[in-house]
Amino acid sequence: MFSFVARRVAAAFGTLVLSSVLVFLAVQALPGDVATQVLGKDATADAVAALREKLKLDQPAWERYADWIQGALHGDFGTSLVSGKAVGGEVALYLGNSAVIALVTILFAVTGSLLLGILAGLYRDRWPDHLISTVSLVGMSVPEFVVATVLVLCFSVALPMFPAVVLYGPEASVGQLLPAVWLPAAALAVVMAAYIVRMARTSVIDVMASEYVTTARLKGLSTWRVVTRHTLPSALLPTLHVIALNVAWLAGGVAVVENVFNYPGIGKLMLSSVQNRDLPVIQAIALISAVVYVVCNLAADLGAMALNPKLRTRGRTR
Amino acid sequence: MASASPASSTSGASTGSTASTASTASIVSVAGLSVAYRSGGREVPVVHEVSLEVAPGRTVALVGESGSGKSTVAATLLGHLRHGSRITGGSVRVDGKDVFALSAQELRRLRGGTVAMIAQNAGHALTPSMRIGRQIEEAGGDVPVVDLLEQVRLPRPAELARRYPHELSGGQQQRVAIAMAIAARPKVLVLDEPTTGLDVVTQRSVLDLIGALRDELGLAAVLVSHDLGVVAHMADEVTVLRSGRVVEAAPTHRLFAAPEDPYTRRLLASVPRLDDTGLAIVGDAGQREVRPKVEVPADAPVAVSARDVTIDYGSSRAVHGVSFDVRRGEVLALVGESGSGKSTLAWTLAGLRTPSGGTMAHDAGDLARPAQKRPLSLRRKVQLVFQNADMSLNPRRAVGDTVRRPLRFFGTASSRTEAATRARQLIADVRLDPALADRLPAQLSGGQRQRIGIARALAGEPDVLIADEITTALDVSVQADVLRLLDDLRRERQLACLFISHDLAVVRGIADRVVVLRHGVVVEEGPTEAVFAAPGHPYTRQLMAAALEPDPDAPPLAEPGPDWADAAEPDDMWTDHGDGHRVRRWRAVA
Repeated sequence: MFSFVARRVAAAFGTLVLSSVLVFLAVQALPGDVATQVLGKDATADAVAALREKLKLDQPAWERYADWIQGALHGDFGTSLVSGKAVGGEVALYLGNSAVIALVTILFAVTGSLLLGILAGLYRDRWPDHLISTVSLVGMSVPEFVVATVLVLCFSVALPMFPAVVLYGPEASVGQLLPAVWLPAAALAVVMAAYIVRMARTSVIDVMASEYVTTARLKGLSTWRVVTRHTLPSALLPTLHVIALNVAWLAGGVAVVENVFNYPGIGKLMLSSVQNRDLPVIQAIALISAVVYVVCNLAADLGAMALNPKLRTRGRTR
Repeated sequence: MASASPASSTSGASTGSTASTASTASIVSVAGLSVAYRSGGREVPVVHEVSLEVAPGRTVALVGESGSGKSTVAATLLGHLRHGSRITGGSVRVDGKDVFALSAQELRRLRGGTVAMIAQNAGHALTPSMRIGRQIEEAGGDVPVVDLLEQVRLPRPAELARRYPHELSGGQQQRVAIAMAIAARPKVLVLDEPTTGLDVVTQRSVLDLIGALRDELGLAAVLVSHDLGVVAHMADEVTVLRSGRVVEAAPTHRLFAAPEDPYTRRLLASVPRLDDTGLAIVGDAGQREVRPKVEVPADAPVAVSARDVTIDYGSSRAVHGVSFDVRRGEVLALVGESGSGKSTLAWTLAGLRTPSGGTMAHDAGDLARPAQKRPLSLRRKVQLVFQNADMSLNPRRAVGDTVRRPLRFFGTASSRTEAATRARQLIADVRLDPALADRLPAQLSGGQRQRIGIARALAGEPDVLIADEITTALDVSVQADVLRLLDDLRRERQLACLFISHDLAVVRGIADRVVVLRHGVVVEEGPTEAVFAAPGHPYTRQLMAAALEPDPDAPPLAEPGPDWADAAEPDDMWTDHGDGHRVRRWRAVA
């Protein structure tokens, strides 16, 4: 069991190193000279050279990568080319705001869609199943910005319950942002829920048809016990990885939705950095999304281990 | 239907024979039960007016081939119907209660207390994510889990209770399922093919355990089985079902000694016997005639020659230095329990694994290489037929196409039209109507599918055919047909056939020579008749003693041997009994 965990963690670490190299190379490969881009076409050759030296663009790529990674490990991602502030602090600020949306989304969407999926599976081919399946399918097939817009129309314009856009900057407190969190979270949840609902439904149906669930029923156990003790541990197993992928997807999905709501989160920062060619910020954000992906999948693997004794007891002899 | 009249008369006779107790003290009473299954808006009747009485302490067997409705009837004793089925008539009373009139609460009490079920495949019937102890505990009752595990004779029960199902062997899982069933001290035990997935030795010990517990606890039992050997060994009375109808019901001795209905007679006659010296041919009225084996000519060329083959799975060795020859036109049987390495050996010969040592030679090349590295000319010469034809045929491809593809692939047919003609010819060669070529596997019966599996293997015009438990999943009457087909084909085509089976009666009927494997080591080999007449190794004797004949009075073919230890030395491995019959050296231990 220990070796299984160790192998998973090592693989996650390897993935991270690899993605950091890819992120760095991708940014290097962007066409055009950064110094010229930042200073504009009319800059003097001296000024460009000075900036190149300041940005260490005259050094070989692998040295810059080593510098960057070393800094990143200490939380120093360099300075923003646009604002001149430390990238680490700026990204952390926006990331914190996004985390509020992500947390709310995960909390409600994941638990909600799991419950709905299980319910649909248990009431297979009866009306609750048809209702849940249809609604979640519709949610899946509509893009998130459309969902977001419809939500704004319903709950900000027609029924003014939530603000349509955020009027605060990135320094806003959680208390200030909280009213604005619900609509973006709902938009993300609608899109994300469908996958989890469908997966949970299918695996609940599969497991309910298994011989061991029949055996448990024929032991005279109550339905509640059959479902919670015999069905769910096995049924959640395949769902776990779908949840992990969806949570990781949030990192990207959030970008679109944040722009619809003008929410000062990481998605908004990313978009503006791309427009401004703010390379250190783009690098930092890309690296962080890689971390999110890797951590989510690692969590799913470890969760699977908790649910599946076959993975835990590997290596133990008969 | 002609079966209606024997049904009424014989069920009357059976209740009559136990009339003094049955009418007053039956604990299970099924009366005129009919069940229908809803499929595509139509109701398909699956059980017709089945009646059954079980007195306390008695065992009644429900016997029949697949689709006879025997499991459906058995499950109704627990108030269980498959999704989509419903009762269309009759009643099921257990311990005086009408099972299908109970409230959900009462039904749960019935299942948790009065009736318990032991399902066919304990490996699938135990929840994988729960410890053994918890699952048994859940079944209710006041008996401590450790005592229950001890009662089913599992070693180190306290430790075992903390294990998960996948950490147990098949036999151990079945014992756990039994412990779970007797936990609440039920009055009725429903056994649905309780030993079907197990090999002979394990089957025998599980059956003995069930029998002992049944007698000790005074349980009534309903045993569902297609295995007439198991039924003869366990049951007091037998009810034979066919297509959901009772064909015949009688006390066990009478049924096996003098079956009345032609169907019962045919069924009984189809079962291979341990003393058959060839394949039995069964007539419509159930008369059987044993077809003698044709001698393999002494000058038949050797098709495959294996020497000192070892096969490893990672760090564990599955096969230790096995040698054998198979000649053209000969059937060599590999016999042994699960885990003896017989399938591993077959798969290696087919090129699905690579041996870690030894040689496997064929005229057309080296068989010690995996299939993808064998030249096409060699690959087509060695073909494998799988145990489970349902799973080894592509469900979305017409079976004619399945047979046609290897013809083109191996180049044994030169053009498209020739391939199509040859495919139909091959389907006819396995005694099927070529018109079936357009069907999908799901539209064929189990026996027809297995024939297609054989036709596909023949498409490469092989000279070596590996048959891995090819009749295990089939009903006895179908099994007899498939075996006869295989026997005919090897004569017609001079096939060298490696026949893997755990069923000794089948082996005796078809094989010319036998190799007995235990833990990857050959313990005995020789001509079939010599080995069966005088088994030399205690393990062979143990296998034969455990085999069950479809006759309650049959004496065991062999007495179990003494406790023994291996005594083979590298330069003195075998005791030779002449004529190729040799036994690995062993010594008795006290």
